[in-house]
Amino acid sequence: MGRIKVLPITAISDTPFSITKTGRWRYETPEFRNKLSPCNEACPAGNDIEGFMVLTKEGKFREAWELIKEENPFPGVCGRVCFHPCEFSCNRKEYDEALSIHAIERFLADSQINTKSEKHQTNPKKKEKVAIIGSGPAGLTCAYHLARMGYSTAVFEAHSSPGGILRTGIPEYRLPRSILDHEISDIESWGVEIRTNTSIGKDIAFQDLKTFQAIFISTGAHHSRNLEITHEEGRGILSGLDLLKRIRMGERPSLGEKMIVIGGGNVAIDVARSALRLGIRTVEVYYRRSREEMPAIPGEVEEALLEGVKIHFLTSPIKVIREREKAIGIECVKMTLGRPDESGRRRPFPIEGSNFQVYGESVILAIGEVPNLSFLPQEVPVKDGLVQNDETGLVHPKGIFAGGDVSNPSHSVVEAIGSGKKAALAIHEYIRGGSLKEKFPMIRVGGKGTVSLKKYFHPPEGETNLSVVPFKEINTDYFEHLRRISNPSLPIEERKGTFKEVYAGLDRKMAEEEASRCFTCGTCNMCGNCYIFCPDLAINLISTKNVYEIDYDHCKGCLICLEECPRNVISLKV
Amino acid sequence: MKKMMTGNHAAAYGAMLSRVEVIAAYPITPQTQVAEKLAELCAQGKLNAKYVTVESEYSAMGYCIGASTGGARTFTASSSQGLVFMQEMIHWAGGSRLPIVMVVVNRGLCSPWTVGADQTDSLSQRDTGWLQFYCESNQEILDTVIQSYKIAEQILLPVMVIYEGFYLSHTVEIVNLPDIELVDSYLPKYEPQYKMDLENPATFGSIAGPDHYFRFRYEIQKAMEESKEIIKKAVKEYEMIFGRKSDLVEDYYCDDAEVILVVSGSISGTSRLVVDKLRKEGKKVGMVKIKMFRPFPKEEIRKILRNAEKIAVIDRNISFGHGGIFCQEVKSVLNQGKTKGSPLVYGYIAGIGGVDITYQLIEKVIDYTYNEEPPKDDIIWAGLTYEGQVHEYGFKEGKIFQD
Amino acid sequence: MNMALKKERYSKTELLFVSNAACPGCASVLGLRQILKALEYNVMMIVGAGCVGGYTGSYPYTILKIPALHSSMAGGPSIGAGLKAALDAKGNVDTTVFVWAGDGCTCDIGLAALSGAAERNEDILYVCYDNEAYMNTGGQRSSATPWGATTQSTPKENFESKFKKDITEIMASHRIPYAANVSVAYPEDLILKIKKAKSIRGTKFIHLLCPCVTGWSYPSQYTIKLARLAVECKIFPIYEVENGVKYTINIHPKGTDIREYLKLQGRFKHLSKEQIEFLQNHVEEEWRLLGKKVEWSHSL
Repeated sequence: MGRIKVLPITAISDTPFSITKTGRWRYETPEFRNKLSPCNEACPAGNDIEGFMVLTKEGKFREAWELIKEENPFPGVCGRVCFHPCEFSCNRKEYDEALSIHAIERFLADSQINTKSEKHQTNPKKKEKVAIIGSGPAGLTCAYHLARMGYSTAVFEAHSSPGGILRTGIPEYRLPRSILDHEISDIESWGVEIRTNTSIGKDIAFQDLKTFQAIFISTGAHHSRNLEITHEEGRGILSGLDLLKRIRMGERPSLGEKMIVIGGGNVAIDVARSALRLGIRTVEVYYRRSREEMPAIPGEVEEALLEGVKIHFLTSPIKVIREREKAIGIECVKMTLGRPDESGRRRPFPIEGSNFQVYGESVILAIGEVPNLSFLPQEVPVKDGLVQNDETGLVHPKGIFAGGDVSNPSHSVVEAIGSGKKAALAIHEYIRGGSLKEKFPMIRVGGKGTVSLKKYFHPPEGETNLSVVPFKEINTDYFEHLRRISNPSLPIEERKGTFKEVYAGLDRKMAEEEASRCFTCGTCNMCGNCYIFCPDLAINLISTKNVYEIDYDHCKGCLICLEECPRNVISLKV
Repeated sequence: MKKMMTGNHAAAYGAMLSRVEVIAAYPITPQTQVAEKLAELCAQGKLNAKYVTVESEYSAMGYCIGASTGGARTFTASSSQGLVFMQEMIHWAGGSRLPIVMVVVNRGLCSPWTVGADQTDSLSQRDTGWLQFYCESNQEILDTVIQSYKIAEQILLPVMVIYEGFYLSHTVEIVNLPDIELVDSYLPKYEPQYKMDLENPATFGSIAGPDHYFRFRYEIQKAMEESKEIIKKAVKEYEMIFGRKSDLVEDYYCDDAEVILVVSGSISGTSRLVVDKLRKEGKKVGMVKIKMFRPFPKEEIRKILRNAEKIAVIDRNISFGHGGIFCQEVKSVLNQGKTKGSPLVYGYIAGIGGVDITYQLIEKVIDYTYNEEPPKDDIIWAGLTYEGQVHEYGFKEGKIFQD
Repeated sequence: MNMALKKERYSKTELLFVSNAACPGCASVLGLRQILKALEYNVMMIVGAGCVGGYTGSYPYTILKIPALHSSMAGGPSIGAGLKAALDAKGNVDTTVFVWAGDGCTCDIGLAALSGAAERNEDILYVCYDNEAYMNTGGQRSSATPWGATTQSTPKENFESKFKKDITEIMASHRIPYAANVSVAYPEDLILKIKKAKSIRGTKFIHLLCPCVTGWSYPSQYTIKLARLAVECKIFPIYEVENGVKYTINIHPKGTDIREYLKLQGRFKHLSKEQIEFLQNHVEEEWRLLGKKVEWSHSL
């Protein structure tokens, strides 16, 4: 009430109007409700991309890096080899250009190259032990997370050095050894034991692994698929994957002046580009579908073309041409696209009479990789050449799990990492006598199968199934059009004859600038629009918690805050 | 100190002696010299006030309202068209309970244009909550301005000090200018209880619901009624300090009068002479001068007029569709129970548009009152002619009626 | 300008109490809030007659934490000037007197008083909140109603056929020290301009365009969007005039198509394609003229 105690003789008012609860006028109610950014949903490894982008923008690279490492132990690797589905979902893509998330992830890893993650063992050491077969991205991720949870892990690696496909299948100019070694040694520093030159099925029987409380199968897919064409058997047809391995191990095989590569995936492109660097003058790739349908990462295909690789689309080999038993070329037929098959892609079929021959000193096969499942016991279910597991990675109720390329046909590093993490949580649940499947709704990030470790150990209050922010909910009035900053690349001339990294990283200023283009979809960053545009002063700043809060006694439901929130944090209450 | 000055200048000096702080006025004949004299006094530093030449009377009153709410003592002056132009703000000032003093120089309302004296302009504002005092002489004007501040600042209602154009505004008379220190002892500094103050913020003049508004209007009427005592005290105190008396209702030989003349303004002086003359001739005539018109002095009027047989009210104004305004007001308080008998009231309208009300005309009025019974009409047009002919229900002194 | 990140510039001062009696989404009360934020302290207000008289609350309630005086429609400028005179007389020269009146008061009934006050260079900050009609009485046209709009007194068969009175230019031609246009969608610019005006002695005139949910017929959440579109479509240029001769455009509009602005409002729904083109040409021409004024003022 006002200070005027004596009844005034005319209308002199000093009682605040606030005692009138104009909130009763509302028809619709706005509320603060953080949502999921599409990049977070799209990342199979479960990176909190929106989170690390905010930290990068503020120059907090260490914290950003640690945020990634909570979910994914391989930011340096992913920042170089990932096919970045996050960028394809980035809402900014609809406005001007997608954020260079891939480049920023790499920048963060590189900026902390001399840092080891904090070794405070917050989780008490547990007595259970877990066996992990294969030290590829899936296996090492699983081991990393289990070790951080306190479990003892033993990773069995058949090869002489750990890393799986990262070690053997990806060329140096895409993923330098030093980066891989650095991140693996960081994983080992958590207490992960890697036993190289130890093959399960040869050196140790699968049955002997029963002493472990759980087993994670992540042997990957290292066996080249056959073409099943005439005269395929015999000398001269090399497996693309084997060739990459040999080059990675330091060999410099002589392959002649002209190479023919059959296939359209990353292996085919990696082989082609590696071949150019080895001095092979002409490299031709033959792929039976069109460019748009090529499974290889589009950026890699572009670089290959720039470097001089010739790619022939809609061309399929039907016969190997042999001279004295040695393969010297292939006969191909031109293809055309018909109706889509069960994968959704248009089915190619040959054009009558379009046959032609191509000759080359080496013929490389890179049409797909399959896992070697010969070492697996009976109880592990297998179908179509892949280990069958459920969405959590469980293969057999007696504690057998699988992940990565051994069970997933899509062959991407980041999905392998995601499956390794999921399996770690599933193993943890199994050991405690529970089931991860039941907890799935709580730890899920969006609807594409990604899970968050953070959500598992620190369940968020309130709603767990957050909706994803679509572009149309972003209020672009608050963003200027800005150019995308991405990794500078080595000029073509400088790439000849060397396996030096093709892309350089961003510098600090570039990273901060690029990160500031992020819309931060769905997460309030205290921009203050709702506060300054409320006609009823019904949005208050709670400075102790650094959040805004709606005063429902006085909010009239005009929804200006909802409209002017640039990032869709305010929605109608349902 | 005695000086020769016009009524307008007397008003200006009254404002100066009252130490007004803000003056906003727009010129209009016959008020212009009020503002001009104040401009001169301010420029010469004799009066420490902010003097603003506003662009209309509406803004003049707006200015005063703003200034008064800010806690300053304010003054303005107007007449006729200007007065009715600011009518919205006159009501506003009354409702806002601001102690503004305005000098109104009576002048007829247009159209057609006229500059002659006519009280209809100030009387048309009688419902606004302003007090109204009608002055008879330049001395009275000066005295009343000073008293008005004392009264207004106690009861918190604005006051109009009213006098006729040209007859008083432009006529030079002797005026006794009191010393300012003496005035300071009578009139303290203005310290309002409610004003715009950063330490005690409040919103003035919001919309008020029916119950509140009703009460606020009741407060104004209550203040008007309570003001009579305050006015009397203020006037008495003035008499004690300055030695000049001024009755709110003057009773001149009314005790045994058969016919009582009711007048206001400058013709009071003339009327007194007529009464003196007729008394010498043996006629039992009396005169009442009404100075305080708002609040209307009901008890005094009833008391003084109670014994007369006939009342002759001379109005230098008219409310079309009814009659002279003073006459209506007088009639309305008579016959209210306590009067002995009911005197017959004759309503005379004279002097509209500045037509002169002479000694002879007043005599004629009293004559008519004695002889004509009942009056030919509710309104007797004294001195009205058209095309040389006298009005049917009226008379003219001079050419047509020979004394 | 990435305004989303500049909240540090807004002071925490609020001179309004929480909530008010305005329509949901009212840009006028929002503008008042932002202006009072900019004025921060040492300010008294004259409340014009109109929508503001309604939303400040009825006796004994008020939404204002500062001393305020309600005025009649035509009285705002003179009442404000009178208050300032009284404060000066009391020796208080630093308090800002801020007159807040609508387009009806400013452009029509009170224009004479405003012109008089400006001519005398009265030391008041006068802000006209312009909702382009007499909204408080139901939405009848005023001289600030733009061409093509329907109002209660200009229904669609006889829609508004006069162009909007350019009150900023009228005030600038009085050679007052400062006249400017501001918008609630650009609070940075508004706050800077009000602070600038507060520091100047003499008459300051600010013109604020206020989209009106009830009168312009649109869903309340678009208030800021419409305020922004009015600027971006060049219908309401944000510029300032110092001493009547120095023109500066403060926000350079993107030049969005006028249909984006018109299509959201019910009061323009009836316009035909040709009429919209006519309006577009008019807006372009006015913008061009303003550009010429800026050029001219720089050449002085």
